[in-house]
Amino acid sequence: MKTQLTIAVLATLSLPLHAEINISGFASVNGGKVISGTGVPQYDVEPTFLADYPIVSAYTQDFSMKPESLFGLQFTGNLSEGLFATAQIVARGANDYDAKFEWAYISYELNDSLTIQAGKKRLPLFYYSDFFDVGYAYVWMRAPADNYTWQIFNYNGINALYSGSIGDWSLSGNIYGGREDDTNNKLLSDFFFLEPVREIWKDILGGVIQASNDWLEIRATHMQYTNERYRSGEQVLWDGKPQRDGKFYGLSVNADFGNLFILTELNRLDLGGNLDTYMISVGYRFNDITPYFAYADFEEDATDGEHHDTMSLGVRWDFHSSAALKIQYDKVEEHSFDLAVAGDSESITFGIDVVF
Amino acid sequence: MKTRTLAMTLFLFSATTLADVAVIVHPSNSNAIDATVIKKIFTGKSKSFSDGSKVSPVSQSASSVVAAEFNKKALKKSSSQLKAYWSKLVFTGKGTPPKELSNDADVLKHIASTPNAIGFISVDSVDSSVKVVQKY
Repeated sequence: MKTQLTIAVLATLSLPLHAEINISGFASVNGGKVISGTGVPQYDVEPTFLADYPIVSAYTQDFSMKPESLFGLQFTGNLSEGLFATAQIVARGANDYDAKFEWAYISYELNDSLTIQAGKKRLPLFYYSDFFDVGYAYVWMRAPADNYTWQIFNYNGINALYSGSIGDWSLSGNIYGGREDDTNNKLLSDFFFLEPVREIWKDILGGVIQASNDWLEIRATHMQYTNERYRSGEQVLWDGKPQRDGKFYGLSVNADFGNLFILTELNRLDLGGNLDTYMISVGYRFNDITPYFAYADFEEDATDGEHHDTMSLGVRWDFHSSAALKIQYDKVEEHSFDLAVAGDSESITFGIDVVF
Repeated sequence: MKTRTLAMTLFLFSATTLADVAVIVHPSNSNAIDATVIKKIFTGKSKSFSDGSKVSPVSQSASSVVAAEFNKKALKKSSSQLKAYWSKLVFTGKGTPPKELSNDADVLKHIASTPNAIGFISVDSVDSSVKVVQKY
């Protein structure tokens, strides 16, 4: 029996000899609560802090560790000669730790500067979109919620990635195209419309260009797509039409002076009307301790359009070579009545981010 | 007064360079490798030497003294800043950090036998099997 098992194990072990599989991962264990808040009485929303829109990480006045905790594993198979297969599985507290493939793509390095990727990937709208789930990679508890509000955050398609340099500047960029058909979109179904919503972003076409030197980093992006939506199976019409076009523009400038750093983002989504978001953040590194401040705003260009902002104060402590402890205070102000999201709130959240 | 300040500054500088780090390559490697090139290679921004051959950097365990020195002096980053930098690239499919070897002896052995490799060890561990291209 034992020998048989050994042979079986050996047989299994000998299979992956062709591909070297590398496993890495990240995890965040976060908790928090709303200290005080108005909620949105006109929509029966209790005092809530919506810390992450697309995933619906909603804190209430009851302490909870589920909204933002997550566990991610990445498997990369090196098939040699520049060919890689990568899968990232993420289990989120907000989804009862139901593990899902968030990324699943094949990557081929044509040469030192050009790589082609195809499959399921994160939609790289914002500066932090790509590594939104990896809390260890940024200073705050989360990328500023008022900016990262869009309901679609992954896509299926093709991405061409370039990296190179000119003098002291490193350049990188990518061009991507694809679509996403989210049959039960979490943000729209669970938070806004309270009925099953199928959200389609098709004919997605976008580009990102990034330039950086020793202390300055500039990123500019544009993306366009066509939106279709079904509420409880019935197609939504906008001005009598079954689809609408969206155009996204983003600019991000980050400056790092060694200890002092400044991070900024400015974005616009034109969906027939403009939805503008921006954020500015400043931090200072005292060895392993980094206090920071952030301000973020979302404003729709319309009378009583969606409008909310957040002021955040927090500290990150790199107490271990692979782990960071963070605590953050957020004060959200709601400025809209008809399009109120979660009302005013003050919250405390804290947690540990690890990478391995 | 000015000379004294200068002398003192020099003294302070030399005091902080006691734990020297040497960047080493295979003796046959004749590429020009300065501090800028080293920084680009160890942050994944450069993938080849100036002659076009593919570069294969190796690092040491993040908790080692020599890695902390190298990260601070050559890359101007703390070990946790560097880890955050790499996790951003690793989990977005944009890069892979240098392989970590466990000590100076392993790095020395690896570099001495790998023509396109580059690594770092403490200056005291250097021997004639490798070529030193930079000291910090």
